[in-house]
Amino acid sequence: MKVTYRWLKEFVDFSETPDELAELLTEAGLEVEEVTPLVQPFSGIIVGKVEQVQKHPNADKLSVCQVRTDKGTFQVICGAPNVKEGQFVPFAAVGAELPIGMKIKRAKIRGVESLGMICSKEELGLETHSEGIWAFDRELPLGKDVYELLEADQDWVFDIAVTPNRGDCLSVYGIAREVAALTGNKLKPLNSEVEESLETKIDEIVKIHIHDPEGCPRYAARVIRDVKISPSPDWMQRKLEAVGLRPINNIVDITNYVLVELGHPLHAFDLRQIEGSEIHVRSSEAGDRFVTLDDKERLLPENTVMICDAAKPVAIGGIMGGQNSEVSGQTKDVLLESAYFKPERIAMSSKKLGLSTDASQRFERGADPENVIRALNRAAALMAELAGAKIAKGICDVYPSPLKEKEIPFKADKINRLLGTRFSEELIKEKLTSIQLKVNEGKVIVPTFRHDLSIAEDLAEEVARLVNYSNLPAKDFTTIFYDMPQSDHEKRIQYLRTELLALGLQEIFCQSMVKYEEAEPFAESAPIRIKNPVSDDMACMRPSLFSGMLKAVSYNLNRNNRDLRFFEIGRIFTSFDRENIPTQPYAVAAVITGRRDLPNWNVPEEFVDFYDIKGYLETFLQKLFLDNYKIILYDNARYMAAGESVAVRIDDEIVGVCGRLNPEVCGIFDIERAVYGFELNVDQLQKYMIFDRQFQPIPKFPYSERDIAFLLDEDILAADVVEYVRKNGGSLLKSVEIFDVYQGENIPEGKRSLGLRLRYQSTERTLSDQEVDKYFQQIINKTTKHFSASLRK
Amino acid sequence: MNTIIDKIRSEFHREANAIKDLKDLEPLRVKFLGRKGLLSTSFDRISELPKEQRPLFGKALNELKKELENEYQNLIKQFKAKEEQKRKLDLTLPGRRPFIGGKHPLLIVADEIKDIFRSLGFSIEDGPEIENDFFNFEALNIPKTHPARDMQDTLYVTDDILLRTHTSPVQIRVMQRQKPPIQMIAPGRVYRRDTPDASHSPFFHQVEGLVVDEGITFADLKGIIQAFAHRMFGEDVKVRFRPSFFPFTEPSAEYDFSCVFCKGRGCRVCKNTGWMEISGAGMVHPNVFKAAGIDPETYTGYAFGMGIDRIAMIKYNINDIRIFFENDVRFLNQF
Repeated sequence: MKVTYRWLKEFVDFSETPDELAELLTEAGLEVEEVTPLVQPFSGIIVGKVEQVQKHPNADKLSVCQVRTDKGTFQVICGAPNVKEGQFVPFAAVGAELPIGMKIKRAKIRGVESLGMICSKEELGLETHSEGIWAFDRELPLGKDVYELLEADQDWVFDIAVTPNRGDCLSVYGIAREVAALTGNKLKPLNSEVEESLETKIDEIVKIHIHDPEGCPRYAARVIRDVKISPSPDWMQRKLEAVGLRPINNIVDITNYVLVELGHPLHAFDLRQIEGSEIHVRSSEAGDRFVTLDDKERLLPENTVMICDAAKPVAIGGIMGGQNSEVSGQTKDVLLESAYFKPERIAMSSKKLGLSTDASQRFERGADPENVIRALNRAAALMAELAGAKIAKGICDVYPSPLKEKEIPFKADKINRLLGTRFSEELIKEKLTSIQLKVNEGKVIVPTFRHDLSIAEDLAEEVARLVNYSNLPAKDFTTIFYDMPQSDHEKRIQYLRTELLALGLQEIFCQSMVKYEEAEPFAESAPIRIKNPVSDDMACMRPSLFSGMLKAVSYNLNRNNRDLRFFEIGRIFTSFDRENIPTQPYAVAAVITGRRDLPNWNVPEEFVDFYDIKGYLETFLQKLFLDNYKIILYDNARYMAAGESVAVRIDDEIVGVCGRLNPEVCGIFDIERAVYGFELNVDQLQKYMIFDRQFQPIPKFPYSERDIAFLLDEDILAADVVEYVRKNGGSLLKSVEIFDVYQGENIPEGKRSLGLRLRYQSTERTLSDQEVDKYFQQIINKTTKHFSASLRK
Repeated sequence: MNTIIDKIRSEFHREANAIKDLKDLEPLRVKFLGRKGLLSTSFDRISELPKEQRPLFGKALNELKKELENEYQNLIKQFKAKEEQKRKLDLTLPGRRPFIGGKHPLLIVADEIKDIFRSLGFSIEDGPEIENDFFNFEALNIPKTHPARDMQDTLYVTDDILLRTHTSPVQIRVMQRQKPPIQMIAPGRVYRRDTPDASHSPFFHQVEGLVVDEGITFADLKGIIQAFAHRMFGEDVKVRFRPSFFPFTEPSAEYDFSCVFCKGRGCRVCKNTGWMEISGAGMVHPNVFKAAGIDPETYTGYAFGMGIDRIAMIKYNINDIRIFFENDVRFLNQF
């Protein structure tokens, strides 16, 4: 909402400067976003007198002028056709800077010297386009500062962010009411006297019927005859322009002017177009269509309040008029409407129509039903004054059941209890009455313009903001230090994070809304779509952290950041039945790509592969203290590369996958490199994480190790051999590690050598070589037999 | 007899002088001092000498042995030192550096905010990002036709299921399952239908705060925000409360911190106002209490919000919110 400083002063006398007023309003909840002077201040432009005008010897359209100031006479080349001897003009000498940012320099124009410039209003930033120089309409002292001349008329535009509850402040008068309360001055009454110069009574001209009193509780009109459509006067155009409205003609401008001044929307119909001179207010039915005055045909939402004549609709009530009845250059007689519409109905229709107007914004926030007549009269009076119109006698005012003022029980202690204050009843009363609330016999009576006040808490806010929030007490917590424990969930997430950071992975924080194509490959059935996405780039919720993380990988690769090790913890969005909110478990994922080691002068350049990500996964899982997890071969995740993917299984539940991301899926993200990753479902995983671990004593006795290389069929899986050995190796066998895998020279075709290192250890004694050898030999024999293996020599 | 001693000594010296490398020292030791070396065999030959010469010769041999062993040890030292000099490291070459991870800056700030509120006695709660209309709007006193719905352009999944526009639904979920006293924050991601630019992202991060008990007042709210401001940005930060409007609080407030860049004097960052807008707060609206099943006659409470992204931007002097979600490693490595 834009208002000007001087316009406010028409309704309340106050002495605050524009900046002081802005602060006062902001601290009272009317946030002033910007205060701009209507005339941008400038300096160095002085009054000069044109002493002589001669034709430029070398240019037809230029003249050589002699301009006298208090400092002497200057020769100036001027291109304006309207420059004349004897004029008093704004003069910019060499060195002066114009408000539009131009610095005046000594110049030679077509061979003749020019020592300054005679300014136009445009060059002084006073209008957007000037035809010639600005000649003052009177004699002025030479050398007088031009800005000082203007300053007396300077005005300031306040751009105020009015919160949705304060519909009453969408007008100059409404804000003036606040200013009056905040500065302790009186609000002047609005002049709404009308001279009814016609003998004809309105009732003899028009009839009004409200068929939808719920949607339109009050409808009033005046008839205005013999209007002369013309541009409105300068002062009105300037005020409208200052608050951001474009002047059109006197009738439209007057309705807009009253809208800004009083906050009450009006509509002017061309009376000739109103068939039967009848107005019927009714609600629309399904399928009704209507052409609004912006020439658009609109499908009307059912139950929209429509203003109709005897035959047809002529306006969408409270939102926009119709093309069929708008005021035009030929209009002679006007039916001027002033009504009150129910906020919820206007909000509903405006939203469904996708049509928000100055009128609808005010009605949906709640106009004042008591302003209906005031606004009507104010506009009629202006039409008589500015459009030479004659006004029919009387007002047609249909208001079947007048809206009552609300009453709130007055409880000073409740207000104090909420604010933590000890305000006296008198102070509270004083504050409430300053904004025109009435306090009577334990009740607060709320005027009809304050739709937002209905409970004691609302009154508490009014008192608080009028006292100023800065003056309310604050408790001192600065010396209080608790140590609230973390929740279990928080603890687990932080634990996972710490471990991943310890693995040298970089935490990233990715988008959760992604393109359909970026979500689809990761979704079990279909990804969750957003009905009204910001753009196609953010059309779906990520079914996997990989969706966002691969975007981050792609972003970095495109910028030549090529060695990436990322992890993320966040929600993913999985199954959804459309009835209940979807399951949105936390997941943890890592992705790696690029070189295995940071480039260095003595480290060979190698790139990460499957075993790197598997190593990260194994190390990570080891720190999660899971019992009984297994890494199994897994080709069911289509976003993982076939033959390079495994899964983590606990009991019979798959809790995550690990391996190479499917190159085709990477292609969707424009990634050509191999990317490896794992993702685990934290919600599933955390059931199995055991934090209450018991200490295991460190073995007191030394271990013995034995190495053996089996020659096996190449399709026997290493994990199967290790597991067999572990299970059958006896109780002293503590661990089995693969230390070598070899195929090639000296190994028969179709075979593979698998080198195992077996570690034996007892908790009770040092094992003898003979004893270890015995167990070792036994397991070698069993294994060779079980897998039809031989020993590699 | 002495000729044998001299012969061995001079032969040792001759051969020792010829040695160029540490590895040739071992054969020298074997030849002279080894188990079957020249000295050992000479000892063996003592018996061949006349009895009276034997002690003298033995003594001489022992002295020679000590002398040569000494010289041998010196040679080893000399050669090792030479070797060492030859293999000297160029310590100016860069070391082999491991990959190192780091926390995301936004989450560093989130941790800091959580720690501050834990120090003020708040618990940390969590709630879903895809919510019901009820939790996101209805229960927060924002009915379907309420103009405030326009303030937060919402992303919908179905007519009734949406991406939460604020972390306030967590308030309702907590109040439904826990009786007062309640003192909680709920950090998390929220969504709005905004076109991304330097100061807008369609998803961003909030911390919701809620305190409910008997006798909670606006003075508690002011005090907690003040304490937070001090712990987050330092003791000299001032807090300003201004009236505002939210359907779920009454009275409602916006709160600002004095600009941390210019200390409130006015600069480009704070658009010369001296203040940085932080977020909204207020006393819980009785309708919200009713929707959550708490008696507004017995209990009062306050709620507040704050933007994690906004606080991180202030803290690190970042002027484009999008940089957080690009995850460029050249950005992330700075934290």
